[in-house]
Amino acid sequence: MNNRLFKERISMIALYGFTGCGCLVLAVILATVFTKGAPAISVSFLLEETRNFGLEGGILYQMAGTLILMTGAALVCLPVALGSVLFQTEFLHSPKLKKIFRLLIYSLNAVPTIIFGLIGYLFFGVFLEAGVSWVTGVLILAVMILPTLHVSIHEAVESIPKHYREAGLALGLSPGQQMRAVVLPQSLHGIVTGTLLGLARAAGETAAIMFTATAFSGVRLPQSWTEPVTTLQTHILVLAQEAANPKALTHAWGAGLVLLMLVFILITATLWIRSGLEMEAER
Amino acid sequence: MNKHPMFSERGPAFWWTGFTALIASGTIFILFVSLVIESVPVFKAEGISFLWGTDWFAGEAYGALPMVFGSLVVTGLAVVIVLPFALGSAILTSEFLNGRLRLMVKAAMELLAGVPGIIYGLMGIALLTVWVRDVFGLIDGNTLFTAGLLLAVMILPTVMTLAEDALRAVPGEFRDTALSLGLTRMETVLKVVVPEALPGLAGAVFLGLGRAMGETIAVMLVIGGIDRIPQPWFNLFAPGQNIPSKIGREAAEALGFDVQWSALIALGLLLFVMVMTLTSAGNFLLGKAR
Repeated sequence: MNNRLFKERISMIALYGFTGCGCLVLAVILATVFTKGAPAISVSFLLEETRNFGLEGGILYQMAGTLILMTGAALVCLPVALGSVLFQTEFLHSPKLKKIFRLLIYSLNAVPTIIFGLIGYLFFGVFLEAGVSWVTGVLILAVMILPTLHVSIHEAVESIPKHYREAGLALGLSPGQQMRAVVLPQSLHGIVTGTLLGLARAAGETAAIMFTATAFSGVRLPQSWTEPVTTLQTHILVLAQEAANPKALTHAWGAGLVLLMLVFILITATLWIRSGLEMEAER
Repeated sequence: MNKHPMFSERGPAFWWTGFTALIASGTIFILFVSLVIESVPVFKAEGISFLWGTDWFAGEAYGALPMVFGSLVVTGLAVVIVLPFALGSAILTSEFLNGRLRLMVKAAMELLAGVPGIIYGLMGIALLTVWVRDVFGLIDGNTLFTAGLLLAVMILPTVMTLAEDALRAVPGEFRDTALSLGLTRMETVLKVVVPEALPGLAGAVFLGLGRAMGETIAVMLVIGGIDRIPQPWFNLFAPGQNIPSKIGREAAEALGFDVQWSALIALGLLLFVMVMTLTSAGNFLLGKAR
């Protein structure tokens, strides 16, 4: 056979092999979490509180804790992300300043999450005297997901057609009116997808909250600003360290399945919104 | 009048958004400055030898070298393992797959990128450590190698997605010209497209390195947690420790203001500097590619 053709075939097979392995990883993760987690799932598992240090009962308050932290973080983060994007796109005209601003946001995105935990605890836990509490956790996660929201919203604002803005300018709108009448409605999809991705990221984060916002046992819903919560992530973390005990491991997989579903629903929603937009753009 | 005024008119919208922008852009400085200030006590206690000290006994001695070593080793290992998979799937997806299949691979990668670290940790501790132990005949599966392997899986979507973007940024004329000269499709990709996209591909790898180095929770569960450089140093099948794992294990007990806390913050500072160096290099290369 032709030597070049042979090489072509071989490299093609290699490429498919490598890609297949990559996609296989996702399949393996899904299959494992489902098969190991499904036996643990039941109505009582979802609606009861944890008993006997996670070996019995359910994960009701863990789910509540994860929801509290992630929605709180998104609510705190959204106005800041929105404001900073609008400042960058509407008021900042020097390309150099814009570039610096973008670099700062990208750097923030690269900061290891454990560092958010360390410094976040110093700032919110010690200086604001929130201690190890859900408030500290919400604020830390809000800072952590800021770049996610910022980048997504920024992309949407940048892609608004120029003549939309020109129409607004021609009507004599002030920058504030321009934002409300043109920029915000036209970048709504970016705001939504950014927030969903931010929620997913906050729900999946463990390192930043494990020593700043959560306690393992004896925690229900927080009754005050300075009480810790318990979350799915940290629940799995503690149970995973007792991997020798099959009962603990089953509960960990069950909680893992719930967490994974939550995150995947959020990401799938983002992908769905985005692909809808792409189809609209092609039409 | 200045043709490009720095800012437009200053209404309430300006001040409101300006304030939020200040928060968004100032955070990174606050992080860095806090890390520097809070790590002063340990440098006062240990001197600069904190950086190359090999012993860490809480309350007595603090040396960062085993953790720095562990971080470099697992990160390097992760990239070496992930490279063929990430680049291979990036090339296939960008150059050979049609629209629909391409979207499916991309969607799979986005989902993979969203899998929480703790899930990887659970899979690592329940399955991967056992496999590594049995396959390599070890007593304990919690090793530097296990951590590197797990990290490789975790950074696959990051490196793959960025590499694919870099490949797609190469203009179509390059491919047309090469094909018209009689090169096969694979030759076109390997001899024309990949060299042209090289800065972008390198950028993708650097960002992957940065991500791997800072990953905490999954690594913490499988690395072994021994603050020691293995004997001999290239023995990857020994337990070790990296910086995020060390901080994650000790932060809860050291929470507060003594030297141990400061030592952990100093480790955080080292991690911050290393990650920022890698990420800046990556962003620089990606910017160049655009």
